[in-house]
Amino acid sequence: MKITEQDLKNISLLSKIKIDEETSDSLTKDLESILTMVNKMDELDTSKINPLTHPIENTQTLREDIEKKDIEREKLQELSKEKDSGFYLTPKVIE
Amino acid sequence: MSDLINLSLTDQILGLTDRSFSSKEITEAYLSEIKKKKSLNCFISIFEEECKENALIADENIIKNKARPLEGIPIAHKDIFCIKDKKTTCGSKMLSNFVSPYSSEVFTKLDDAGAITLGKTNMDEFAMGSSNETSFYGNVLNPINEKLSPGGSSGGSAAAVRANLCSFATATDTGGSIRQPASFCGVTGIKPTYGRVSRWGMIAFASSLDQAGIIAKNAKDAAIALKYMSGFDQKDSTSLNEEVKDFQKEVDANQDHVIGIPKELIENIKNDQVRDSFNNSISILEKDGAKIEEINLPHIEYSLPAYYVIAPAECSANLARYDGIRFGHRSNSVSSLEDLYVNSRTEGFGKEVKNRIFIGTFCLSAGYYDAFYNKALKIRNLIKNDFDEAFKKVSSIAMPTCSNSSFELGSISDPVEMYEQDIYTIPANLAGLPAISIPSGTANDMPIGLQLIGNYLDEGRILNLANKFQKLTDFHEFK
Repeated sequence: MKITEQDLKNISLLSKIKIDEETSDSLTKDLESILTMVNKMDELDTSKINPLTHPIENTQTLREDIEKKDIEREKLQELSKEKDSGFYLTPKVIE
Repeated sequence: MSDLINLSLTDQILGLTDRSFSSKEITEAYLSEIKKKKSLNCFISIFEEECKENALIADENIIKNKARPLEGIPIAHKDIFCIKDKKTTCGSKMLSNFVSPYSSEVFTKLDDAGAITLGKTNMDEFAMGSSNETSFYGNVLNPINEKLSPGGSSGGSAAAVRANLCSFATATDTGGSIRQPASFCGVTGIKPTYGRVSRWGMIAFASSLDQAGIIAKNAKDAAIALKYMSGFDQKDSTSLNEEVKDFQKEVDANQDHVIGIPKELIENIKNDQVRDSFNNSISILEKDGAKIEEINLPHIEYSLPAYYVIAPAECSANLARYDGIRFGHRSNSVSSLEDLYVNSRTEGFGKEVKNRIFIGTFCLSAGYYDAFYNKALKIRNLIKNDFDEAFKKVSSIAMPTCSNSSFELGSISDPVEMYEQDIYTIPANLAGLPAISIPSGTANDMPIGLQLIGNYLDEGRILNLANKFQKLTDFHEFK
């Protein structure tokens, strides 16, 4: 399977990871070889098979709707480099 | 005191209980061995002072007859399990400064059982790798031959057990990350049924495949450790609300076994030593009374391609959370929000993690979703059905853990060749079944493993069979 320059641009845009020119050739080679291996799936006719997203049939368990304070907000926000008054800070998004 | 670290978990519990030695002695013996073998690079962090203090508390509990089941036993956790107020890096630069505000359920359960945490073990970045070479903290060396890989992603845990640096270690397995390193290091590794052990506080890679388990010296030890780690957890929506059987009793129980052999798969093993060792293992078990049945797993050869769509797809979704804002690496070179996302992620993730995010992103993108992701999920269903059919007539299924023994560090650069390491381990993850790897011989003078796959929630049976094998052989003894 061929990966085009446009494919690389799309993947980079969607995943929010830069692909620099130096590595794009080796990345293309890696991705093509992985997708060629993956293409073996085409040997099977799966038109009548249902997809299985999860190995175990398990219904979601619910708990009582009681407020819990397992982790304090301040403690969580200590993990961020940029915060102020309980808010996370990012570069400006509106002029 | 160096002989204390050679003891099995079973003997350590006995010795601590009858006060032949203390937790302080055993903990200090491990700490000194860890220092001596620092060059193996098994640990990312070590909690020296804290575990010495905890050992004293454990000794007091023992004296006061208040000992908990694993009181005073020094263990190691894979650095994928969050521990409150401790760094949890997941082998990545992205989390190099992440100090967890809460503890994983795996840590809490073992801590509540009295175990002492020596430190956190090295691993492939975000558990993506089969050689330990993708760790941001440098690869672990195989203690048996330091030029070779310990396997991955739980290479630190497997090498630490093999090098006598802890009594047992926790680990995780998404496509073979417990069993392959266990096989490469000549130790015992079990991945339980999906949902058996809580994933709360275990950093996510591919959520429908990830499962925590144990690497230990033998099946008996693994049974004890697993018993105290398993159980329903309301905080994990995929946790199974099922009774946890007493694996410690089951491992020694008198059980009959019917072992299924996927004949075609075995005939196609390319490595003669791996095939001969497998056949030898099966004849040992057969002589001991196990019944052997040929089985058919017609779709198993499609496991690898299906897995390398599903796992990267889930990985690309899970790792989208690393945006540089709330936690994890945040780039300093930022002039817009887009820059913040892109630069933080580009700087924070290593090559293999990026590759998997790219593959997952590609397979989930418009126009490719059906051809790749949906197709892989359908194949996953076929593979699960193959196992369901097989388990109608057998109680466990045997195959090798890997197609080879350990390889030289740096010798595999082709990603597909590396992915093929997981060819025999992936099917159990796709189906969510429990599976164990036990040492079963050597190839090129390095250990290889026998893999036993059990039916859902039937960890006790494969532990029992593994224990039988270990009573009949000495492949698991460290020589």
